[in-house]
Amino acid sequence: MSETVEAMSETVEAMSETVIDTRHLTREYSRDEYKVVALKDACLEVQKGEFLALMGPSGSGKSTLLYLIAAMERPTAGELRVLGQDLNRLSDGEIAHWRNAHIGFVFQSFNLIPVLTALENVELPLKLTHLKKRERHEHAETALKLVGLSDRLKHFPRQLSGGQEQRVAIARALVTDPDLILVDEPTGNLDAKSANEVLEILAKLNKDYSKTILLVTHDPHAARFATKVRYLDKGELLPEGQKPAD
Amino acid sequence: MKIPLAYNLRNLAVRKATTLMTALGIALTVAVLLTTMAMVEGLNSLLRSSGNPLHVLVMRKGSSDELSSNLNRQVFQDLKFKSGIARGKGGDPLASLEMVIVVNLPSVDNPDGSNVTFRGVSPAGLEMRDHIRLASGRWFQPGRAELVVGKYIASRFPDARLGKKIRLARADWEVVGVMDAANSAANSEVFADVNQLSADNNRTEVLSSALIRAADEAAAPALIRDLEADRRLNVTALTEKEYYELQMRSGDLFRYLGLFVSLIMAVGSAFAAMNTMYAAVARRTREIGALRVLGFSRASILTSFLIESLLLASLGGLLGVLLVLPLNGFSTGISTITFSEVAFHFRVTPPVMAAGILFALVMGTMGGLLPAGNAARKQILTALRDI
Amino acid sequence: MGRYFPLVWKNASRNRRRSLLTISSLALSLCLLGLMMAIYHALYLSETDPAQALRLFTRNRVSITLPMPAFYLQRILAVGGVKQAMEFQWFGGAYKDARDPKNFFARFGIDPNKIFTLYAEMRMPEDQKKAFQSERTACIVGRRLAEKHNFRLGDRITLQGNIYPMALELVVRGIYDNELDPESLYFHWEYVRQAMPGRDQLSAISILADSPDSVPRIIHAVDEQFRNATVQTRTETERAFGLSFLHMMGNVKLILFSICAAVTFTIMLVSANTMAMSVRERVREIGILKTLGFRPSAILGIILSEAMLIALMGGIASYFLARALCGVIRSGPAFSSELMTLTIRPQVALVMQLAAVMIAFVSSFVPAWSAARINILEALRRTD
Ligand SMILES: Nc1ncnc2c1ncn2[C@@H]1O[C@H](COP(=O)(O)OP(=O)(O)OP(=O)(O)O)[C@@H](O)[C@H]1O
Ligand SMILES: [Mg+2]
Repeated sequence: MSETVEAMSETVEAMSETVIDTRHLTREYSRDEYKVVALKDACLEVQKGEFLALMGPSGSGKSTLLYLIAAMERPTAGELRVLGQDLNRLSDGEIAHWRNAHIGFVFQSFNLIPVLTALENVELPLKLTHLKKRERHEHAETALKLVGLSDRLKHFPRQLSGGQEQRVAIARALVTDPDLILVDEPTGNLDAKSANEVLEILAKLNKDYSKTILLVTHDPHAARFATKVRYLDKGELLPEGQKPAD
Repeated sequence: MKIPLAYNLRNLAVRKATTLMTALGIALTVAVLLTTMAMVEGLNSLLRSSGNPLHVLVMRKGSSDELSSNLNRQVFQDLKFKSGIARGKGGDPLASLEMVIVVNLPSVDNPDGSNVTFRGVSPAGLEMRDHIRLASGRWFQPGRAELVVGKYIASRFPDARLGKKIRLARADWEVVGVMDAANSAANSEVFADVNQLSADNNRTEVLSSALIRAADEAAAPALIRDLEADRRLNVTALTEKEYYELQMRSGDLFRYLGLFVSLIMAVGSAFAAMNTMYAAVARRTREIGALRVLGFSRASILTSFLIESLLLASLGGLLGVLLVLPLNGFSTGISTITFSEVAFHFRVTPPVMAAGILFALVMGTMGGLLPAGNAARKQILTALRDI
Repeated sequence: MGRYFPLVWKNASRNRRRSLLTISSLALSLCLLGLMMAIYHALYLSETDPAQALRLFTRNRVSITLPMPAFYLQRILAVGGVKQAMEFQWFGGAYKDARDPKNFFARFGIDPNKIFTLYAEMRMPEDQKKAFQSERTACIVGRRLAEKHNFRLGDRITLQGNIYPMALELVVRGIYDNELDPESLYFHWEYVRQAMPGRDQLSAISILADSPDSVPRIIHAVDEQFRNATVQTRTETERAFGLSFLHMMGNVKLILFSICAAVTFTIMLVSANTMAMSVRERVREIGILKTLGFRPSAILGIILSEAMLIALMGGIASYFLARALCGVIRSGPAFSSELMTLTIRPQVALVMQLAAVMIAFVSSFVPAWSAARINILEALRRTD
């Protein structure tokens, strides 16, 4: 994906580039007669190099917003441009390709492939690129080194602790050198110490490698690692600096 | 193929028991098919070595087999001097007047008795069948009630071993030799002096058939046309090869039975494979979601699961081939349309094995396509939320 | 066990697709098993039809293809217990193009005045019988043969002889019904005899005994009578005679047994596999059942019952499949008269169901047993 690498280096210069731009983004779920508005009229702009934390009570629509940005779900209404791309216009196949090239995603429950080793798990998204076997290997090793796991390359997920698994997942998210890293409650399943390690890695990625990161979390401590915090409440994205009243 | 093969192989290995059971089911199905095919291969090879393309068999017009054919000595004397017939060592035409009868003898498989073909041959007939060697004993002497048996007859019919006596129509005939006929049907026949055998059956003038050798490949069709056209002779002629093909039609029964059983079993095994693959898809629903988030397309998910199913099936195919391999060389008898037994070997040849693997792959595809499609259709978020 | 049935039923129907696939897979294999058992039963176990039980065949001891002197028929008629005896001559020959297998049907020369006594199960209108008996060139054909070749009363049929070098010109005078033998042609043997006076020989004689008790006596008496003649005979019941023909085709029993073995083993694999999969998916639930106080024996019972329930459904489906296949075989080529009336008898149907349940029991025992003994905590911790 050499084009992406070039595109990246261009954007490094133009610091104030908009990475995420949503206009009146709405997502409704209807089940039987019920209609749930998971996200209502959300207008969000994220600039390159930002580390934004999304907070809010359970069910407020944080994950929904994240999934829409990752194009894992399509909005019912509104516009959505991510990295300059109008996602509504892309087909399924194009989206898969786009996601592989530009997005890194980290789940609360890791979602590593149990039958693959740490190294193979990290290498997996690179299989979709044109990189040669040796290069893939090197990239994956570098990513694992970055998250402090260079001594665990050959381990299977079940041989790792939760914190280590999550760090493998982060390595897997950043190995393709994505423009945008989306993280959904990465510390939910972790103890305080492991959580800190994971968050420090994210902060370092933001600071040292100027990665744009969107972090969904419940944990105010986690939000402190971010450069900016936005709140959601009952599907509405609150204006900057405003917290939900409780 | 974007998702690594190791992913599929390891998943198969993780569920050892399920993988093995499904593969074994496929293996048994393949084994049934291959047994049938090995039999057909064996029959074909028997046919190839039995029918010499230069040899022309002459029977009375309207006859479908030597047993029901009647050929007069006089007719034989006439056809012997047709042109295009090869000459033997002594300069005489290579033509043999023969007499064929079948005799019921108890065999090792069938104590109630199986039919054995007894053939009266002339010295020219022996000269023409140059692929036959004497394995033990000696040849029969003209004018004596002596028999030389094919090697399968010697091993499958206890009453026809060297030194035994067999009672035919009148006389007691002694088995004086065993012949090895290089995998041809003569291994399943008993040879005797034609004059002696016809006298024993009280039909010295009316015999069964004539075998003649054409001078060369080109002469054979001409000779056949010539004989068929001669109204005075009133005979039918065909190459020995064609004749044996017609004789072994009863192999069709087994071929159809084998195909029928293996087809039904194949559908059953495909269902079983489908079950296994659906379970694999269900178990790995979250992984599928994660793979999709990493950017793998629906197509690569589909391919990956289909490949896994094919891997499973090829394991089954390999096991199936291993199961039938011991059959290779195993010999058994099959009945010709005149109900006499001809022995042949099962032959598990490389093409037969390849067909078995291919058959397994077809089952793998039938079993894997729907579950793989199911995996590919999963919505990312639904997949990720699966518990 | 009865009160657990709702639970067993729920479990079996919770993954409907899997249960259906398993049932279909089992049904296909079991139907083959049933079919092979039905064939075995028809060939070796079923009682002979009462008419058939009284009939015997005599032939040359050496081979059916060799003849006996024609006067043997008179000698056999004189044997005690013989009610009737008749020549039963295979004519062979060719009808139209002999290469077409459709034209390869059985044609026998018989005595038209005796055949309806010997073969009382042959049904034909009285006027057709009369017409057949009174005309030397008349012949009768089986209903199915007539349908295949579109033979009508009055049609001419020419058979080109090979063993008997002559052409038989026949006229269809009757169409008979006989389930055991629906595809043969019968004509006056007298016709051939007069055309070829020199060859007064017979290759088979059909005998009707006056009672079942006479049958063994006749077999003995006939063969004994010709023991020291040039041509010795072999006499056997019609059924044994038919089977010997089938056996010449190969080792039928061995083939039936090997297919049954392969099929049975496949069923075991399918059933064991399904149960193993569904138990594995439910390990946590089994843990929960255990914390609720279910005893291992109850869990064992629930899982075994589920397997047997599924197998039984497969068994029932296989019964209908096998019946349909029997129909296919009945309408196929007539290899043996036993197969012409092939059906799945109640005994066979029952054995099929028993086999299904037994196989399910055996194959699900291992997964059920390990589920019953699993440690609660381990079960609850299991995630897949
Ligand atoms: N597939 C769905 N079908 C129906 N409703 C849904 C679906 N997904 C989300 N919702 C609803 O949308 C709303 C927002 O859900 P979302 O997952 O975005 O919340 P969240 O802020 O991430 O909560 P949490 O902090 O608990 O993860 C919820 O009320 C939820 O019930
Ligand atoms: Mg959430």
